Amino acid sequence: MNPARLAFLLLVSPAATQALQPLSDQSLGAVTGQAGITLEQSGHVSVGEISYTDDGNRLQIQNIERGEQSTIALPSAVKHVTDVAADGTLSINTTVAPTALAIGGVRINDSLASTGAFRLNYSGNTHLQLRPSNGRYIEGQVDTSISDAELIWTTNGHSISFDDILFRADIDQFSIGDAYKGTKQGLDFELNQFAYDFSTGGLKLGGVSLGTLSGELALSGSAQLYAGGRLGNQGLQLDAAISIVNDSSNYVQFVDDGNALYMGDFNGALNVTGLTIDVANDHLAVGVDQLDGAFNANRILIGDSTRPLGAVQFDFLLADDGTNGRFNRLRLYPGVRQPVLAALPTDIRPYSSQFYQPLNAASDGLSAGIDWNLTSANASYIDDNRLVVVSGIKSYGSGDITFDVRGFDHDNNSATADKTAVAIGLNDFNGSYSIEGLRVGNKNAPLQGGAELLLSLEVFQAMDFNLDAYTYITAGGVSGGGIQVDGDYLFSDTNIGLSVDDQGQGIWATGVTYDIHMRQFQFDVSNRGISVNRGEQWSTMNIDDLRWGDKLAGRSLGRVTLERFERGSSLEILPGGAGAVCVGASAGSQSACDAAGGRWEDRGEEGLTVALKAAFEPEGLTSDGTIARNRLTWENNRNSDGNGGYVNGTGTRIEFDGISTNDGLGKSDSNDYGFRADLNIDVYETKVVKKSDGEDSQNVDGKKGDELIYDDSSRTTYSYVETPTAAQKQLRPLGFAVQGNVSFKDFQIDQVRLGHPTGGTQTVFSGVVMQNMDITTNLTATPIR
Amino acid sequence: MKALILSCALLILPALALEPLDSQALAEVTGQGGVYLSGDLTINDTGGPLNRDGPSQNGYSWQTACGVNTTDKRCGGRIAVNTDQSGGWLVLDNIRGRFAFEGLTLTTRRIDSGFDGDGANFNRDVMEIGLPDQLDYNDVSFTIANSNAPRPTDAGFQQTDIMTLNINGTVNQQGNVLLFPTGAP
Repeated sequence: MNPARLAFLLLVSPAATQALQPLSDQSLGAVTGQAGITLEQSGHVSVGEISYTDDGNRLQIQNIERGEQSTIALPSAVKHVTDVAADGTLSINTTVAPTALAIGGVRINDSLASTGAFRLNYSGNTHLQLRPSNGRYIEGQVDTSISDAELIWTTNGHSISFDDILFRADIDQFSIGDAYKGTKQGLDFELNQFAYDFSTGGLKLGGVSLGTLSGELALSGSAQLYAGGRLGNQGLQLDAAISIVNDSSNYVQFVDDGNALYMGDFNGALNVTGLTIDVANDHLAVGVDQLDGAFNANRILIGDSTRPLGAVQFDFLLADDGTNGRFNRLRLYPGVRQPVLAALPTDIRPYSSQFYQPLNAASDGLSAGIDWNLTSANASYIDDNRLVVVSGIKSYGSGDITFDVRGFDHDNNSATADKTAVAIGLNDFNGSYSIEGLRVGNKNAPLQGGAELLLSLEVFQAMDFNLDAYTYITAGGVSGGGIQVDGDYLFSDTNIGLSVDDQGQGIWATGVTYDIHMRQFQFDVSNRGISVNRGEQWSTMNIDDLRWGDKLAGRSLGRVTLERFERGSSLEILPGGAGAVCVGASAGSQSACDAAGGRWEDRGEEGLTVALKAAFEPEGLTSDGTIARNRLTWENNRNSDGNGGYVNGTGTRIEFDGISTNDGLGKSDSNDYGFRADLNIDVYETKVVKKSDGEDSQNVDGKKGDELIYDDSSRTTYSYVETPTAAQKQLRPLGFAVQGNVSFKDFQIDQVRLGHPTGGTQTVFSGVVMQNMDITTNLTATPIR
Repeated sequence: MKALILSCALLILPALALEPLDSQALAEVTGQGGVYLSGDLTINDTGGPLNRDGPSQNGYSWQTACGVNTTDKRCGGRIAVNTDQSGGWLVLDNIRGRFAFEGLTLTTRRIDSGFDGDGANFNRDVMEIGLPDQLDYNDVSFTIANSNAPRPTDAGFQQTDIMTLNINGTVNQQGNVLLFPTGAP
C-alpha cells in the first residue's frame, strides 16, 4: 500500500488499535440497536514497539501503554455512537473517559539513548461525520475537544508538563483526494474553517508553574502528502499552504500571576514547499526546499492591558541556495549528543564540561543539528499608524543543539533543594546575519540608512558569529510564576557591524571574543510590563580591531576590551512611549512650550519604554569564584604578528579601571540605585532642515533652513519648504523619537592609567567621582539617504 | 552596552581633520546613509537622585527640594577628579543647564575624490559628524572648585569655589568632523 495512504488511514482512525481486539461479552452486550450502534469499550493496551522503517532505518516508538488515567495498568473506557443519516453521512461520536497514553521513548535503530518518556493524560469527545464525495475519496467535518489534559515530558527522572489543558477544534469541512506533483501521486488534504482554542492551567517545571497559556485561532489550508523523501527511495514529502484567517478574535496569551503577554487580532500565511522527512541511520532528517510566510499582529499588550504596544508585521523567506551551499535542514537525534570538548574554543570548555557532566551517552533527551538560510525578511513596527520597516534581513548558518530536563542548583546553594530545569546547549553555532537598512512611512519607501538607531536596543546591523551557549531555565521569577535563566555564553571569531552600508562598508568590530555569564536572571510579567531582575552578570568583550571600512581590510583603531561585573541590575520593557513632550524647553503644555521657544510633540499613546538599571560592582569574586571587574581598555601601537595582524598586549594602552556605582557614600555604601537609563521610544514625524543653500545629493534644490517635506504619502520624492503647512508637517520624515533619562547617584572610576609592557604603568587620574547626575534628552533620529 | 562602546570609542578618538571643509569639499563627500539627530539635553533640571533620597553624613545632607529656578548648589551634578593620589581634587560642581541642537548628522563614508585631489590619495572610510548649524545654551552653568575629598559627605570635607560660569546663547557651527584611524593599531 502507498505509505502515504497508510499513514492517512492511521491518522483518521483513532480507534484503529482497539478495533483489532476481540470484543468481550460485556462489550458486545453494550451494543444497542436503535437509530445507530453504541459501542462501549473498556481496554488496556500495551505495545512493546511500533517501528517505522524507511530505507532500512527504523524509527522506534517504544513501550506504548494506554489505560485508565489514575492507574495506567487498568482498562480505560471509550464509548462510540455510530449512526448513518438519510443522506449517507456516517456519524461517529466518541467519548473517552479519563485515560493515560504513555510512550517510554523514541529511538532510531536501537540507539543507546532515547528522547525520554512522554505521557498524555486526557478525556475527550470527538464527533466525526464522513460522507461520500464526487471526485474526492471522502469529505466531512469534525468537532473535537480534550479536557483536563496533562502532557508530560520526562528525561533522566525530571519532568516538564502542561497541566489542565483544554483543547477544542472544529473543522467545518475537510476532504481528502488525489494530489499530483510531477510523476508523484499522493493525497490532498483540504481544510476549510479550522477553528481551535486552547488553554493550559499551568506550564510547569518539576511541578512549579511558569504561568498559563491560552489562545484562539481560525485557520484554513491544504496539504499534499507524497511518498519519497530526500534520502534513499522511501520517506515522506509534504507541500502545504496554511492561512491564519483575518479574525479579530484570534489571540495568544501567556499569563504570569494574573498579568498577560497578549497578542491578538492577527492574521498571516505559511507556505511549505518540499518538506521531506526521512529516517537516517542515527537521526530523523527533516528538510524543506522553501518556507515562506507573513504575519501581522494588530494588538500587542505587555502587562498593562490599557496601553497597547502598537502593531508588528513580519514576512520571511527561507529557501535553499545550492550555489552557496546554504540549506534549511533539521536533524533530530534521540538522546543528548555531547560536543567534542577539544573542538570548542578554550574559554568555553570548562562551562561546556560542567554542563554535560551529569549526562552520558545513554542519557535521555533530544538533540538537533540545524542548517538555516533566511534569504530575506522584513520586520515592521507600527506606532500610532506610523510605520518603520527593518528591511532586507538575511541570515545563514549551522549549529548543534541539545535539550534535556534535569535537576539544577538554581541558587548556587547546595543546602537548598535543586529545581527542575530545561537545559539547552548550543554548540558550534556558526552564522551570519545582516540588515540592509530601514524604510519609513510605507513598505515601498526607498531604502535608507539609519539601522544604527537599533544599536540602542543592542541590535547590530550585521554580525558573523560563532556561538557556544549553555542555558538552564527554571520555574519561578521574583514572585510566583515567571522563569529564571542561568547561562554561560561565548561568542568567538565574531565580527560585528556597528554602522555599515549595503555594501558591507562602515565601522566594524572584528575578531570579537565576548564571554557572558548570567546567574539568576528572573523574568516576570507585571502589571507594568516585562521585568528582568538580573541577579549577577559578568562578561568580557575583547575587540581585536575596531576597523573603519571593510571588515577584513579596513584600517584599525586598535584593540578595545570591555569588562563588566554587575549585581542586582534590572531591565523593564513597558508599553507606551513618551506621550506629549516639549523639545527644547521645559513646559507642560503646548502654549507654554511655544512661549518658551520649544517645540510641542504629541507622540501618541503607543510606543515602547525601556528602563535599564546597571549596578556596577567593585572588583570582586563572582559566584563562580572568579575575579571580575568593570574596566575599559584601549590598546594600540601593537607589534605586528607578521601575518597582517597584531599581537595583543604588546602596545600602549589606556585603562579606565575600577568603574563602579554606589548610593552616594563610596564603595562601602549600598548599590541599589546604580546607573539608570530610561528610554521612551516612539516613531514620529521629525523636523529635518537643509543645512546649506543649493542642490543636495539627490539634486533637490532648497535654501538653508528649509524643511524637508515628502511630496505625498508614498514618501518617495520630497521638496524643501520654507514654512510648511499643517498638512505638510504630516509628511515630515519619520524617525525614532527617544525621550531618554540617564541618572546615577554616584559613579566612580578608581583610576585612569597609561601602560606599556616595557614602559610600565603611569596613573593619569587617581580617581574620578561623579555624583547626583540627572540628564534628560529629547532626541529625534531620522534615517537619511 | 555595545552602543556604549561605540560612544566611548567616539569620545576617546583622536580629533583629526578638524579644519572646516569648504562647500566644494562638502559636496564631494559621497553619501550612503546615516542618521539625522535633533533635540535637546537637560542636566539636573529639577535636581538629581541624591536630592530626593540621598544620604546625610558628617554634617552634610544631599536631600533638598530642587525646582527649575532653585539656586541651591546641591541641586546640580558634581564631578571630582584627582590627578595625584596624595593631592586634592579638581571639582566641577553644581552642573546644570540645557543644550538644544538641530541637524547633527552621523554617517560613515568613503572619501576617494575631491579635496583638491587629496581625496583620491586619502581613499579611506571615515565617520562623519555633521555639526548642527546652531547649538543653543540655556542657563548652562557650573562651578570650578577644589576640595580635599571627593564627596561632600566625607569626613573633614573642605571645598573652595573658584569661579562659576553661566552660559546663555547660541553657537553657530558649520562643517563636519571626520573621524578615522591613523597610526599603528
